[in-house]
Amino acid sequence: MRIVHYINQYFAGVGGEEEAGRGPELREEPVGPGKRLQTLLGDEHEIVATVFCGDDYAAGTAEAAEEILSLVDEVDPELIVAGPAFTSGRYGVACSAVIAAAHERGIEAIASMHEDNPGLQDAGAAPVVESGQSARKMKGTMERLAAAVQKLAAGEQIGEEEGRISRLRRVNVLAEAPAAARAVELALARLGGDTERTELTPPDFDQVMPAGPVEDLSDATLALVTEGGLVPAGNPDGLESSRATLWLRYSLDGRDSLPEGEFESVDGGFSTVAADEDPHRMVPLDVARELEQEGAIGGLHPEYLVTTGNGTAVAASKHFGVEWAVELHKAEVQAAILSAT
Amino acid sequence: MSENENSGRETRPGLTRLVHEIDDVELGDETRLEGGRLTVSAEEAKGLVADPALAEVRVSWVSPGESARIVKVLDAVEPRAKGDGAGGVFPGFVSPARPAGLGATHVLRGVAVVAAGYLPRAQEGVVEMSGDAAVLSPLGSTHNLVVEFEPSSDASWEDVDTALRRGLLKLAVRLAEAALEADPSAVEELPAAPAQAQDDRPRVAAITNLQTQGTFKDVFVYGSSMAGSLPTLIDPNELEDGAVVSGQYGHPGLKNPTYIHQNHPVAAALRASEEAVLGGVIICPEPVDQAQKELVSALAARLCKTCGFDAAIVTKEGGGNADADVALKLDALEEIGIPAVGLFAEMAGAEGTAPPLVAPPSKATAMVSTGNYDEELELGEVERALGGERIDLRDADAREALELPHAAIYCALSPLGWGRLTCEDAT
Repeated sequence: MRIVHYINQYFAGVGGEEEAGRGPELREEPVGPGKRLQTLLGDEHEIVATVFCGDDYAAGTAEAAEEILSLVDEVDPELIVAGPAFTSGRYGVACSAVIAAAHERGIEAIASMHEDNPGLQDAGAAPVVESGQSARKMKGTMERLAAAVQKLAAGEQIGEEEGRISRLRRVNVLAEAPAAARAVELALARLGGDTERTELTPPDFDQVMPAGPVEDLSDATLALVTEGGLVPAGNPDGLESSRATLWLRYSLDGRDSLPEGEFESVDGGFSTVAADEDPHRMVPLDVARELEQEGAIGGLHPEYLVTTGNGTAVAASKHFGVEWAVELHKAEVQAAILSAT
Repeated sequence: MSENENSGRETRPGLTRLVHEIDDVELGDETRLEGGRLTVSAEEAKGLVADPALAEVRVSWVSPGESARIVKVLDAVEPRAKGDGAGGVFPGFVSPARPAGLGATHVLRGVAVVAAGYLPRAQEGVVEMSGDAAVLSPLGSTHNLVVEFEPSSDASWEDVDTALRRGLLKLAVRLAEAALEADPSAVEELPAAPAQAQDDRPRVAAITNLQTQGTFKDVFVYGSSMAGSLPTLIDPNELEDGAVVSGQYGHPGLKNPTYIHQNHPVAAALRASEEAVLGGVIICPEPVDQAQKELVSALAARLCKTCGFDAAIVTKEGGGNADADVALKLDALEEIGIPAVGLFAEMAGAEGTAPPLVAPPSKATAMVSTGNYDEELELGEVERALGGERIDLRDADAREALELPHAAIYCALSPLGWGRLTCEDAT
């Protein structure tokens, strides 16, 4: 099989952090860890090219994965291998973005990273196999990856046995028995001492450490953000009442209040009567302006950010969170009040 | 053997279900049941639902296999009525709020009375009467008497909702009253839950969380909202007589309509089991703040312990935050040594690759999946639509072919365990 290998600037040997901003490039040969991978794969499969890209560029540019894939297209591969990224966050995010995009286009793709790598969740339905924590574990990591590549090339499923750590795609099917009857069977199994049996494996969520307190609020810019679905009356931009796929921004510039009738909540997850009667209870502009006048806060960010937190997929929420953080960080906002419902 | 133990083994009075299978339905001059054929007077039906808050009421039948779709589905009720001298059904609504679940109850099986139409903040639910999606909803295989309505211009939406609920329940009782003199197709004896173990089979509780988030997102017990209440042990037969009535219109795929409470799937599955015994039903509110969720969960677990239940099956209603109510109870039960199983829908994104739960348990591990909420499915074009001419979810003609998430299909991911939908890892 014709294989393209994706790695970062560091493993390509073109530089460290100072080169993290460089865009993708292609070389028609195995590079860095790809040489060992080629040896392990033997004659059956050929690494026809290596694409490398700076970590910042690859993880921080929305179109990076598409750019990388269009470079890859030139050599028409049958399979894409990314990494190993070990615990390196940006590299892992990039590897996942590349294999997820390839998988969506119908190109077989696989990555290798450590299970703590934050990029793991972005791999979509493409397989990721486990690597060691760092390049010191390169040998075992590459052996596992090469074995998985061979299986994938042979059209086989990559599962736990191959060291898969990314989630398998969940698909709806009809069971023989109703859920209630299955629950009774499960309760009986549990009473019989079986603590393993389940139809659902819970996800491991990140523990988010709160940021330290703002030292001097009188010098800080404060932002108001909400997942309570507060939008101008009539919902002109079509924010969803549940399962949100987007977030919106509305200007607070020159505004001292959010009057009843001019704003409303479209959130389908709670009784919006109180929020509609007084939209400030969702976005507390009234109190924020008072604090601004008193000098208790340095200033107020000129727009509020909003989405709907009702049945919204965790992956989408995480995505919105990252975009809001980038947005507020760029605007030099030091603190945000997020009203949740 | 102590006296206590003797008294515990006495059988408490149960309920007799007089089941009338309905094979055929029609509208006619008067409401009557002949053989398996149910005729309903449209005039009488409209009169029962009529209310100052409703400017217009329409009723029509739709049956399984028809090229038809019901949109904007609100609540659904199974017609039931009491025989002589045993109180009434739907206590707190159409009969006095007195303990229910005794004597005999007539049940029209294969029929539902369904309200469909616009209410603000009701998330739009869809029922398919034919095609692959019909099997995903309990109403896909029942003859449905659909009640459509126009609100009065001066009525508040709260009054419209109240009028619909009362009208739907009254209509359901009236239909079942047509069966009072008829011979039932089956007589089913439902013993009360035993106060103590009768043999060495484990007694399993059905812990049933009811959504309690205010108007349009509320569930009623004996006519009052469960909000603010603490966990309560009830006999499963109280549910049979409509002690729990839904007024909850969020998350159609994750909804527990009155119809499903009347036919509580976990209670039914435990009754059908040869290896387990239905211990009882513990109903709990789903509070909106974390401290109350924790308190209710701890008290529900303690109540199970006090009752001597050997295991518990925990269910919910609604989306993400209701997961926490299940997860907290599972953990609280496991902590005091009671094995617990939870029913969850997965919210794994349209592709099925996102984390499936927003609030998983930290100790408990036994979970049943009722399917992925976000996965899309295709619905074919239909000849007839009820509940509205448009489907607001897609801003389209309600009869058109559509692609919708399972989340929009009424009870498709039934948190009470009615359905057969589940998830598998793709291979």
